[in-house]
Amino acid sequence: MRRLSCVSALLAALAVVPAAAETLPVLVPLTGFLSLEGTSQRNGAVLAVSQAPASLAVKAEVVDTGTSPEAAATALERAVSRGTPPAVAASMLGTQMLAMLPLAQDYKVPLVTVSGTASITERGNPWVFRFFPGDAVTKTAHARYVVEELHKTRPALIYQTTAYGQSGKAHLEQAFAALGAPLVFSEGVDPAAKDLLPVLTKALETKPDVLVLHLHSAPTALAVRTAAAAGVALPIVAGSAMHQPSTAALLEPAELKGVCAETAASPVSGGTPAMEAFTAAYRTAFNAEPDAFAVGQYDGMRMVLDAMAKGAQTPEAVRAALASGRYEGLAMTYHSDGTGNMAHSAVIVCYDGASRVPAVVKRYDGPAK
Amino acid sequence: MRDLRLLPSSPVVLALGAVALLAYALFGASPYGLRVLTVAGVYALAAMGFQIVFGAGGALSLAHGAFFGLGAYVTGILGTAAGVGFAVTFPLSLLVPLAVAVAVGMPVLRLESHYFALATLGIAQVLLLLAVNLPDLTGGANGIAGVPGVVPGLWAAGDAVPRGLPLAAVVWGLVAVGGVAAARLLSGRWGRALALVRDDPLTAATLGLDVGRLRLGAFAVSALYGGAAGALAAHTQRVVSPEVLEFPVMVSVLTIAMVGGRGRVAGAVIGAVLLLHVPEWFRFLERSYLIVYGAALLLVTVLAPHGLMGVVERLFPPRPRPLPPAKEPAAHLYPAVPGPVLAVEGLRIAFGGVVAVDGVSLTAAAGEIVGIIGPNGSGKTTLINLISGVERAEAGVVRLGGVDMSGRRPDRMAAAGLSRSFQSAILPDHATVLEAVADARLSLDPSVTVARAHARAVVERMGLAEVMTQPCAGLPAAVRRRVDLARAVARRPRVLLLDEPAAGLGEDEKAALAGQIRRLAGDGMAVVVVEHDMGFLLPLAGRLVALDQGRVVAVGTPSAVVAHPAVRDAYLGGSL
Repeated sequence: MRRLSCVSALLAALAVVPAAAETLPVLVPLTGFLSLEGTSQRNGAVLAVSQAPASLAVKAEVVDTGTSPEAAATALERAVSRGTPPAVAASMLGTQMLAMLPLAQDYKVPLVTVSGTASITERGNPWVFRFFPGDAVTKTAHARYVVEELHKTRPALIYQTTAYGQSGKAHLEQAFAALGAPLVFSEGVDPAAKDLLPVLTKALETKPDVLVLHLHSAPTALAVRTAAAAGVALPIVAGSAMHQPSTAALLEPAELKGVCAETAASPVSGGTPAMEAFTAAYRTAFNAEPDAFAVGQYDGMRMVLDAMAKGAQTPEAVRAALASGRYEGLAMTYHSDGTGNMAHSAVIVCYDGASRVPAVVKRYDGPAK
Repeated sequence: MRDLRLLPSSPVVLALGAVALLAYALFGASPYGLRVLTVAGVYALAAMGFQIVFGAGGALSLAHGAFFGLGAYVTGILGTAAGVGFAVTFPLSLLVPLAVAVAVGMPVLRLESHYFALATLGIAQVLLLLAVNLPDLTGGANGIAGVPGVVPGLWAAGDAVPRGLPLAAVVWGLVAVGGVAAARLLSGRWGRALALVRDDPLTAATLGLDVGRLRLGAFAVSALYGGAAGALAAHTQRVVSPEVLEFPVMVSVLTIAMVGGRGRVAGAVIGAVLLLHVPEWFRFLERSYLIVYGAALLLVTVLAPHGLMGVVERLFPPRPRPLPPAKEPAAHLYPAVPGPVLAVEGLRIAFGGVVAVDGVSLTAAAGEIVGIIGPNGSGKTTLINLISGVERAEAGVVRLGGVDMSGRRPDRMAAAGLSRSFQSAILPDHATVLEAVADARLSLDPSVTVARAHARAVVERMGLAEVMTQPCAGLPAAVRRRVDLARAVARRPRVLLLDEPAAGLGEDEKAALAGQIRRLAGDGMAVVVVEHDMGFLLPLAGRLVALDQGRVVAVGTPSAVVAHPAVRDAYLGGSL
């Protein structure tokens, strides 16, 4: 009897010992040309995991993927080498996602990303979930704002010669044509270009009535600064890089006057109490300003954690929950369109020339499910 | 007696390393470990090609990463768009970079080192721009996704070699094949010739080596390796994007080669294995792993300037190469021609406003010793350079055995039977005397072994047997001159040009040298000697040609030339 009591006590003690924390790998580009955006992605994922429901024992493990597909695929292989995790926060770089997709399918692990480019959700892979609106959403909003709100009909486009840039250019070209305002100029520039005056001059020679930018962060800042220095009076409507606080920090508020940008969300612009709480927590944790990538990744990981808290114990169960569920995130309501596209809304933000914090001026919501 | 030059790497050490890698792959590696090992194999293959062009050939080709990318794109495009299998994509992934290397190599390999590096970087940039801006073919910046794995056969429809151990085995099998091929190439006649071109292209050319062809060959072979590695990278990643053409790939390959040990095939393997694994060991540091990685690289570079293989070879010295039996090289059977074997008519060259050689004519018959004298700056060495093809004359004719050889390259002159020595004996420091002399036979003999046997006979005949196994670095100046002479003689030329061979020699050494030159002439060689030392030259030469300000001022017997007023005015100043 005494021995039985001891065994019972031991079993009871074991029962209250918390299970080993489940690791959620965060495989994002922390070095290279996407380090700013990748760091936002990392911070969003890490913050979400740190705020996981109390019933879950989870921790984030961050690995830098650089910018090469090979490094991303190796990072994913490493992440699953100690057992398949419930989900992986995966790189926002399209080419890295393309390298990770076959592995994710083989290992049956959901990838949660904010990659807005490349055809990652068009390959029939059921293991990818994108918590950032794709180009079909953002570029349509981008073009609609230019044509419908600014009433411009002669857009000149300067885009980046990267996957992000080429994908956006294709969608913008199509969207403007559909709105009856075909591009009067379009030219790609390398991310390493240090002088954008030549391409800006060429664009102005075609007599546009609006400048449309689809560039990465630093080139966006350079283009805006060059236009301001050259006295260009045309409105500028930029891509999502312009909404990032780190991009705005590269410019004087006066240089930003009249500049707008499309994005999924602008946490620093405020809005709901939940968004403001997120922004405060983010600032406290990372001493930095959050952007839409941070919010998107945060929302994605929160949806994963929510599924886990509701009983999704396996990667397959998490995948099923993401594929069929609906989640009220900070930026929008997320649901899959059947291919893994979870985000279907975009906003337009504009700077007033007095501060580096933009205001949301227009919201474009996709069709409700 | 053993030769000091060592075999490239100890076979025992290499075998142990290979067994350790195999054991890790079979028993110790997780799927993740196997992936890292597989990628290391890909980079090892790429670095082997770079060892050939940069390590052995000395040409800093920054196009190597581009060949890597080109191979990847060929595999990606054919594997996805055409649906063909490994049996088709892999050979084509080698051949397309090879064709590009041959096409662009011919113009860019003429450039000097840093311009060559820039030109090859340009090739890489052009290919990168094409990859980004031809989206219909390359997928643009997004690249090509869904590249099939290694599917044996002509079509990509079958089952691919699974990831993990099978794919690692395929990659490392090809690394082994590539490694054996590279080692054989580099340790053979071609590799030795390439190293000679790297160390001193001018000397290599005067020893009969076609510098341009050797460099082009190295560039082309490196492209084969780069293409093969790129093809395997595409199969491993299953994605091809412009990143494979970007500079970081090139930097990785260069770092692997330097850390592993420049010019060493095994260095490519050890460098790749280490450099691909070190970042993985420190991944837990997030982005700070780069600091550790950089520090580790710096440490290796400082502590092991010859790379890790240099350390391995110092700890486990490979066995020395045994000396070959001496074998006298056969004399060349040049067609007998009437008249002088060397005839120079009206040679002229100017450097800017200075006419260095102005209408010089001279002849040398078989068995004759012709001396060329003149004050400093009179054009003696320039004349030797013009005759041997090192400089190209603006006017005039050089006939060798009655054949007009004007304007021919030094290697063509050497092949036609002309050898020369230099004022400062330029010898490869790392080579032994025997190897340095054997280098002169590389363009004549069928193998390194035969070249060494012939070289040994010449070395012994020239009285250098005692220093045969000593490295050239550190030899006394007089001995270096004799080694330089032995190199020229080893080719069994019909015309021998010697540029101040007695400079710095003692009286006994001069006497011995004079005896050797007389014996060479006695064997039927035409010997032309440029010399300041009249005590050495006057008793030696049968005829003298005196130069002053680039022109011939006197020709005749030594006594007649010495007595010539123009010579006394210009050079001797009445001191004789």
